[in-house]
Amino acid sequence: MNAGAFLLALLALAYVGSILVGGRAIRGFGLASGAEYLVLGFVLGPQLLSVISHSLIEGFQAVIMVGVSWLGLVLGVSYLRVGVRKVPVRRVVLGIALSGVVSSAVSATVFALASSFSALPRLEVIAFAATAGIVCSETTRHSVRWIVERYGAKGPLADLAADTSRASALFAAVSLSVVNAWLPGAALPGLSVIERVLVTLGLGIVLGLTATLLLGREFRRDESWGILLGTSLLGTGAAARLNLSPISTTFAMGLTLAIVSRHRLDIKAMVTPTEKPVLLPVVLLAGASVNVKLPAILLVLVAAALAAKILARVLTGSLLSVALPPVRGVGLEFGASMLSSGALGLAVALAFSVRHPGHLSDAVLLLAALGVLLGEGIGPGALRRALSRAGEIKPEEAPPELSPPPSLESRV
Amino acid sequence: MSGHGGPKKTLATRAIQLVSLLVTFGVLYGVTKVAPELETHLGTVAAVGFLLLAGTLMSELLETIGLPHLSGYLLAGIVGGPDVLHLVDHHTVDELSPVNTLALSLIALAGGAELRVDTLRSVARGLAWATLLQSTTVLVCVAGVFVAIAGYLPFTHGMAFKPLLGVALLWGVLAVSRSPSACMGILSQTRAKGPVATFSLAFIMLSDVVVVILLATMMMLARPLINGSGSISIEDFSVLGHEILASIAVGVTLGLGLAIYLRLVGRQLLLVLVAIGFGLSDTFNYIGVDSLLAFLSAGFVVTNLSDQGPKLLESIEQTGSVVFVVFFATAGAHLNIPLLKQMGPVAIALCASRALFTVIAGRISSRVAEDPAILKRWGWSSLVSQAGLALGLSVVIARAFPSFGEGFRSLAIAAVAINEMIGPVLFKFALDRAGETDVHEPEVRASLAPPA
Repeated sequence: MNAGAFLLALLALAYVGSILVGGRAIRGFGLASGAEYLVLGFVLGPQLLSVISHSLIEGFQAVIMVGVSWLGLVLGVSYLRVGVRKVPVRRVVLGIALSGVVSSAVSATVFALASSFSALPRLEVIAFAATAGIVCSETTRHSVRWIVERYGAKGPLADLAADTSRASALFAAVSLSVVNAWLPGAALPGLSVIERVLVTLGLGIVLGLTATLLLGREFRRDESWGILLGTSLLGTGAAARLNLSPISTTFAMGLTLAIVSRHRLDIKAMVTPTEKPVLLPVVLLAGASVNVKLPAILLVLVAAALAAKILARVLTGSLLSVALPPVRGVGLEFGASMLSSGALGLAVALAFSVRHPGHLSDAVLLLAALGVLLGEGIGPGALRRALSRAGEIKPEEAPPELSPPPSLESRV
Repeated sequence: MSGHGGPKKTLATRAIQLVSLLVTFGVLYGVTKVAPELETHLGTVAAVGFLLLAGTLMSELLETIGLPHLSGYLLAGIVGGPDVLHLVDHHTVDELSPVNTLALSLIALAGGAELRVDTLRSVARGLAWATLLQSTTVLVCVAGVFVAIAGYLPFTHGMAFKPLLGVALLWGVLAVSRSPSACMGILSQTRAKGPVATFSLAFIMLSDVVVVILLATMMMLARPLINGSGSISIEDFSVLGHEILASIAVGVTLGLGLAIYLRLVGRQLLLVLVAIGFGLSDTFNYIGVDSLLAFLSAGFVVTNLSDQGPKLLESIEQTGSVVFVVFFATAGAHLNIPLLKQMGPVAIALCASRALFTVIAGRISSRVAEDPAILKRWGWSSLVSQAGLALGLSVVIARAFPSFGEGFRSLAIAAVAINEMIGPVLFKFALDRAGETDVHEPEVRASLAPPA
């Protein structure tokens, strides 16, 4: 397949994604995480049919980077709200803490195993362990939204799931900036790791403030697109040139807009519908980039990371059932439901593979892809069971076609 | 491109824009200093963001002194481009060529969609006379000036009169070419409505076809003059005729398809336009169809054979608000400033003569066609701009005549650079003076109240 035809195929996929942005469509079609497109990418990719070749994927590196960075911006802009409802600060802290725990568990497992059983240099072991932890730290909000939309769930547990999944993005964005700043090859050699992290996030904050000022007192959609696209592309490109983390920069930019701009809801309403059209091509490219022909030790480490992730999620779920009333009695299911991962994990893995191509980044991407498939298999079902047991999905709920109108989330 | 109207911007708004512009330049300047080596593809991402943001802000700031937005986009590209601050290098500018493809297809689609048959009828007489006189007078007179100042051109040194006449005729064709993109850019910004806007749009879109035919004719005539051998072949016209007919046929088909889509589906037009712009442009080139003419025909069909024209125009305007800024800013970055300095005096003389003969031809044709007074006064104003089409013609000529092609092309680049900077300013000035620019405020969506 040549580049032009592939671009058209990606645009067609974006078209499909734009149809699946919400409401009836999200309740009626597709899987929660878009895992089917991941599998499609893998089947079409160099590992199986070779319709999408290695060189083609390399040619689309800039597209991948722009796509994952835009997802970072969308996550940042929509970070503090579910629909128009503000996410309480304690839930933000809880979501970050849960991500941190899972990430630490995965990183520690990978680090311990890799240090003991592999001949990998220490630097690479740390990089791999840290990135594996970040990839596993996310719970995709799409999965939660999918269940909530499809089954019309409503209640404190549904809110908790939505809030904590949304809050998990911050941990991944900041951690990735640290890993990128720490890895060799970053520009700004005179600066310490912390200073490079500050540059990564500071760039996003400065561009976010610039966009906020430019959007001003009035909100004109046509002009706003130019400003948002311009600032996010400048941030993405600048961070990429400095070998820092573009996702972290755009996330910081989005979060700045969400906090400072008086047009935060308008901006959120503008950019949220673009997520699926960007996500599906990115997921397809991620699937095509997956390489399963890895050294055995890396495959073992990937399996261990997945096992650690499952264990950590189930344990945290059990702990939450003791501490939080909405989770009481459904801790295991709630923990398992938090296994769903998607856009951010894949984006982190893709960004890592662009920054550090090689077997290690291939292993991280494989981990992210398997995490999506595993999460798809377990997460939505577990959440549905948890919500049913919590009485937030009524058994006699009307079928999807007759269910209530789309929630605010699908409109904002 | 943002609208022309709108609430008056306060001093504070302008100050914010200036600060933001400085931040934009500062970010990329700092990054370029720290990491001067561009990653092949990733450097392009920052460049697109920079050109989009800097172009938008520069245009807003230049608006305060009455300059069109297009000049702001160009200036942002020039300042950030390879010959001034070097924030965007030559390689990146070349990498951005797909944006040009997309922009030109959108411009042609919009151009066609703006042309309504009933409106065309109202300017048909003036259009016919203007096409005839602009094509002949400007071509012949500018060719004459070229012969007169040929002594100052390095690539015509020692040329006998006949070959020189051949080269001059080719330069004359170049002088007849106009800029659909600049015209659409200014009309999109100013939302101008009136005789000057209608005439300009119709004339310039029509001139695209005329120039293609003129180029084929002049190349046929010039070849024996320049090479001293060869004969005039009617075969070239046959090929050209097929190409034009095929372009119109393909365009009509596309237009009907678009109209059906707009009526039956009418969603995700941004993606559809981007797919058409990227996908079909290459396909058209591959099958030997003039993409500009094909898209023009498609837009024309949508407007005149369906009621979907306004929807198409609105979508193009939304998509173009981003694409056009990058397109013109890239054009600015593409300007070869050292070459402009080197060829400056001769290029200025040729541009001045072209502008003069364009005005004269415009005045004469308006008088003969008994155009309205406003058209007599300002009808020529949009015809000074030149851009991509002229550069494209110079590439064709340079390839066909390698003995002087490089020098010819360099002179063309310098001349187009001058016309590209002056033309849009003149056109906007004329539209303002003619009272055709939109003074209504565009719709502004008040912000939602901040949450409690």
